[in-house]
Amino acid sequence: MNRLVLNPAVVLAALFAAIPLAPAFAHTGSGVSLGLESGFLHPLTGPDHLVAMVAVGLWGAQLGNPAIWVLPITFPLVMAVGGLLGVLGMPLPFVEPIIAVSGIALGTMVAFSVRPPLWVAATLVGVFAIFHGYAHGRELPEAADAIAFAVGFVIATGLLHLTGILIGVLVGYEAGAKVVRACGAAIGCVGVYFLLGAVGVIG
Amino acid sequence: MMRGPRLLATAAALACAVAFVPDTAHAHLVDTRLGDFYSGALHPLTDLQQVLPWIALAVLAAFQGAQRARWIILVFPLALAIGGIASLAVPLPSFGPLLGLVLVAVTGLAVAAAARLPLGVLLAIAVVMGLLHGAQNGAAMVATTDRLLFLSGMTAVGYGVITLATGSAIAFLHGAPWRPIALRAGGSWVAAVGIMVLGLHLVRPVAG
Repeated sequence: MNRLVLNPAVVLAALFAAIPLAPAFAHTGSGVSLGLESGFLHPLTGPDHLVAMVAVGLWGAQLGNPAIWVLPITFPLVMAVGGLLGVLGMPLPFVEPIIAVSGIALGTMVAFSVRPPLWVAATLVGVFAIFHGYAHGRELPEAADAIAFAVGFVIATGLLHLTGILIGVLVGYEAGAKVVRACGAAIGCVGVYFLLGAVGVIG
Repeated sequence: MMRGPRLLATAAALACAVAFVPDTAHAHLVDTRLGDFYSGALHPLTDLQQVLPWIALAVLAAFQGAQRARWIILVFPLALAIGGIASLAVPLPSFGPLLGLVLVAVTGLAVAAAARLPLGVLLAIAVVMGLLHGAQNGAAMVATTDRLLFLSGMTAVGYGVITLATGSAIAFLHGAPWRPIALRAGGSWVAAVGIMVLGLHLVRPVAG
C-alpha cells in the first residue's frame, strides 16, 4: 500500500492552504474579510457539523483507495447542490436532526470500520453533504460578502476533511487503527448528544 | 534521491507566494506619485471573485503540462490589459457579474475533473476571463485616476499572480500521487463556491 507519509511537503501544503486567509484579513472591516471570517467559522462553531466532517475524512482514510480521493473531490460539489437549495430558499425538512444523525451514522461506520461498496458509501455521504451544504447555504444571502462567505466555509470544510484524513493515516498502524475507530465512536456520541438536543429531549 | 531539489523548488515557489502577500497590503500606504499603479494592482485582489478563478485557471493550465501552460502567462495579462483599455471606450456588459461567476464554476469544475483541454479552449477561457476582469477593474477608475498607471498596475498583478500560481502548481504536481488529488479537491471547492454564488446571483442579482 502506498501510505501517505508526513514529510516537509505535507507541512508546506498545509501552510499553502492557510495562505488565502492572510490578504483578506489585512483589509480589516471590509465585506470580504467579514464574509470570509463568518464563513470560515460557520462549520467550526457547530460541533455537530465539525465532527461529521472529520468523520468523512476518517472514513475515507479507512476505506482507502479510491474512496480517499473520490470523497474530497466530490463532496464539495454535492454540498454545493445542498447549498444551492438553501440559497434558493427551498424548504428541506429536519435539517438539524439529520445533521446530528450524520454524525451518528458516519461515527458508527468509522467505529466498526464498515466497508460497504464505494457507491453505498458515496450515496450515504452525499445525502448528508446535501444537508450540511443546505445549512451553510441558508446563511449565504445574509453574508457580508457572499463569495467570501462561501470560500470561507468550503475551506473550513475541506480542512476538516483533511484533519480526518491525516488522523486516518494512523490506520496504517495496528494501534493507530484502534485510535481511529475510537475517534469514530466519540463522533457518534457527539452526534447522539446533538440529536437529543435537536429533538428537544435535552436543552 | 531527487526529492531534495524538487522540495526546494516547491519551497521557493511557496516562499514567493507568501512574500507576495504582505507586499500588496503595504501598498495601501503609497498614495503619492505611483499611487494609481498600486490602486490598479490592488483592485483585483480585494475581491475574491477575481483572484479565485485566476488561481483556478493557473492550476487548470498546470494540468495541461508546462509546455501548454506557458501560453496563458502571455495571453492572460494581455487580455487583461486589452479589457482594461476597452473599458475606456465601451460600457460594461450587463451580463458581466453572471459571466464572472460562470467562469468561477467552469474553471473549478475543469480543475476538479483534471480535464485535458485543447490548447484553444484553455486560451479561450483565459481570454474571456482576462477581457472581463480587465473591463471590470477598468470601470472602477474615476475621473482623477491616472489611467496608464492604474491599468499597468492591474496588468502587472495579473501577470504576477498567474505566473506564480502556474509555476507553483506545476512544481507542486510533480511527485507523490496525492498532489494532483489535493489540487483537484481545491478545484472542487472553487466550483462549489461558483455554483452556490451563481445560484444566489440568479435569485438576487448584485449590481457591478
